[in-house]
Amino acid sequence: MQAAVQYILAGLAIGGIYALVALGFHIMWSAARAVNFAHGDTLMLGAVLAIMGLDAGLPLWLACTLSLVASCLFGVLLERFAIRPFATHAMSIGWMLTTMAVGIMLEALVTMRFGGFSRPLPSPGIERSISVLGAGVYPQELLIPLAAILSVIGLGILRKRTLIGRAMQAVAFDRRAAALMGINVNGVVAFSFALAATLGGAAGILVAPVTQASASMGLILGLKGFAVAIIGGITSAPGVLIAGLGFGVVEKFVEGYISTAAREIVGFGLTILVLLVFPQGLLGKREIFKV
Amino acid sequence: MTARSTVLGFILLAALLVAVPLTAHNEYELRLFMLFLVYAIIALGLNVLVGLAGLISLGQAGLFALGAYSGAVLATRFGFGLVAGSIAGIAITTVFGVLLAYPTVRVRGVYLAVITIAFGLIVENAAIEWQGLTGGPMGITNIPKPHLLGMRLSGFAYFAVLAVVLFATAVGTHNMKNSRYGRAMLAVAQSETAARSLGINATAVRTLAFAISAATAGLAGALYSFLNSYISPDVFTFSDSIRFLLMVIFGGAGTTTGPLLGALLLTYLPEYLQQLQYWQAFAYGFLLAAVMFVLPQGVFGTAVELVRRLRPGARTIDGARAVELAQALRSQSHSRTDLGADHRAHAGAELLAETLTVRFGGLIALDEVSMQVRPGEIHALIGPNGSGKSTLVNTITGFYQPAHGRVALDGTDLTRASPHEIARHGLARTFQNTELFGDLTVIENVMVGYDQRFRYGLFDAAIRTPRFRRGEQVCGEVAASLLGFLGLLKYAHEKARFLPFGLQRRLEVARALASGPRLLLLDEPAAGLTAKEIEELDGMIRRIASLGVSVLLIEHHIELIMAIADRVTVLDYGEVIASDVPDRIQQDARVIEAYFGAPVTAKA
Repeated sequence: MQAAVQYILAGLAIGGIYALVALGFHIMWSAARAVNFAHGDTLMLGAVLAIMGLDAGLPLWLACTLSLVASCLFGVLLERFAIRPFATHAMSIGWMLTTMAVGIMLEALVTMRFGGFSRPLPSPGIERSISVLGAGVYPQELLIPLAAILSVIGLGILRKRTLIGRAMQAVAFDRRAAALMGINVNGVVAFSFALAATLGGAAGILVAPVTQASASMGLILGLKGFAVAIIGGITSAPGVLIAGLGFGVVEKFVEGYISTAAREIVGFGLTILVLLVFPQGLLGKREIFKV
Repeated sequence: MTARSTVLGFILLAALLVAVPLTAHNEYELRLFMLFLVYAIIALGLNVLVGLAGLISLGQAGLFALGAYSGAVLATRFGFGLVAGSIAGIAITTVFGVLLAYPTVRVRGVYLAVITIAFGLIVENAAIEWQGLTGGPMGITNIPKPHLLGMRLSGFAYFAVLAVVLFATAVGTHNMKNSRYGRAMLAVAQSETAARSLGINATAVRTLAFAISAATAGLAGALYSFLNSYISPDVFTFSDSIRFLLMVIFGGAGTTTGPLLGALLLTYLPEYLQQLQYWQAFAYGFLLAAVMFVLPQGVFGTAVELVRRLRPGARTIDGARAVELAQALRSQSHSRTDLGADHRAHAGAELLAETLTVRFGGLIALDEVSMQVRPGEIHALIGPNGSGKSTLVNTITGFYQPAHGRVALDGTDLTRASPHEIARHGLARTFQNTELFGDLTVIENVMVGYDQRFRYGLFDAAIRTPRFRRGEQVCGEVAASLLGFLGLLKYAHEKARFLPFGLQRRLEVARALASGPRLLLLDEPAAGLTAKEIEELDGMIRRIASLGVSVLLIEHHIELIMAIADRVTVLDYGEVIASDVPDRIQQDARVIEAYFGAPVTAKA
């Protein structure tokens, strides 16, 4: 019982990270129908820059804020220079390769500046653990899924209540029609990438105290976030949240009872199974086929 | 690519394969080149999937690993030699390739990318976890040196084996690309709908592409394990999958030289970048990004494009080798299926639709619709917008399933058949919004239409047997004849998407006719055409019907219909309101009401 609670809480924590990353994939997909394979590196950038800010003597809040600003800027630049020139027609996959290339460059740069090793981000959230139903967790781990849930709710409100949010929905539905209605599509896309990158950076800052930060942390977290986005249905924000938290919990149980390698096998095996049963993901919209 | 430059290319490749071992300065240089040979085999196979079938695999390292582990385990545990180990590696990975293709029935694009990523990571982690079989993270050591025909292969001898395998793979995939199989893959990638309407089984085509790319990766894996005598999970990671994909894109997807060049560059590049030490990874990423910006179609793809722009080849083809139109339309034999009924091939088919009902949610698009196209007649289907014409067409051709009712062609029930099966029965169609294979040339579009009339198989294509050559020659003659008939000869080598709209519509007709149909379904062929073009269309439809092809014509252009239709069926709100000869239709009160509304006052 105690072990089960432990696994569930730890799973929700890592699942919250997957959900935040996946939410970014969802936002970028809605805006540009493109997958940013450097999104995992955005997360890494957020974590590493926060630590480097602390190294430079900044207070934690300022280091985190600056790191978020940098992540946001990275997202905007990446969209402008690595995705927009290559998203000219639907079949093109140029963006897949350019974003991968950017990810490789970023990881190489960070490795040079930050070193090839892992470091934790000191945070008040991990100073002492608390007991929930007999299982010990850090407050930080409880904060992560909460942040994911709030982000999804916040995104929902943004889309329903604000002008930019409605413009995002219009662009997601049909970018040509949106442009004809006078919406600045490029602006909306840039905003979406800024938002996604900020969420990615935040995920990095949130996870760094728990799992430590390193230049190579982005690859696997990015891949899993992408898998989660697809499982949940990349067109659905609640879908990716549920898939993310669920994926994290399943992982922790497999890891706890079998092994780390088995964790990946089961996690990615489930990914394939879910897609076979739900080709558009759990809550994704089915695209209607018309001749 | 002309035949001469192709032969020249292969001679160059052979020369390179001979020259390198003669000039290699040391063991290391030779080994590096052998590594390139292994990668090139993977890249050539992956190119079939990416460059032809238009699918992305980000898990090719998983297939490579399966081949390598199959070879290594069988060699160390059961004493398999090079040949047996390689065959086993191919067999095992091909099975997995076919399994990977299965999701493409329902899953596309990024969803498929995730499945391949997941597959690759599963294999990598299974290799770590399944220690009893794979040696876990430490891998398998002591893989015996390769033997062939009882001879122990030295460095140079093994090099020769790899070189021969690479050369054969290059020739085989290149020939496959220039056959019905390659064309069918390109067609499915560009418009699955149109490909299926021509009798091409899209799922089978994708499965073939996956199987080829998996078999080559498996072969490369087995060869790699014998080359290295040691394998471990860390050479089969996600980054390796990306590298294999990059080889294809970097060199130029869809060409044969491209993947070879890509494999060469990406094998040697890291070696040279090692001098940069810390900047190595950065430089690698930077080069990739730079190539994508400057040469978006890859190194070789962009070079070919440039040459084409500077020295455009012939656009037209000579109509001299064209056969008689009647002969071109004659269905040789639908030998690959026993669905076809050839004794009726020249008669024109009878189409029967009985009480077809189609619902979309709560909306009834077709309500108990029955109609008949008699053998050899020109039958027009008209009705106001939204009356259900397109739905009826899509139901007849198998794209929509009716809630109930029946569709039959010459008495054969086709109600639940899929579009490609229906097409193989001799029903060809055009599309309201043209569905051409835009990046194929005009004549290639027509040759795709001919696909089901070919009788050669994959093996014939790979080594260009006489049967293959004969089939392709007949296909070329038929295509020339059809292009001549529709006045497209002088655009034969133009890409289809560059044609003006009116000619695109004609090309769709030519492509449909190439399948040798017994019933041709024309979906609004006159839409957007000029008066003169409609006049020409009139003549063409009459000619087609006169050659024993029933025609079902969906049209708004009343004058055209009244001029050429033998009978007319009128749809309104999903119901048939009249079906008769044109003269009576014009007088029919319900038809007039449907088009002009009920009279407000009786006219004096």
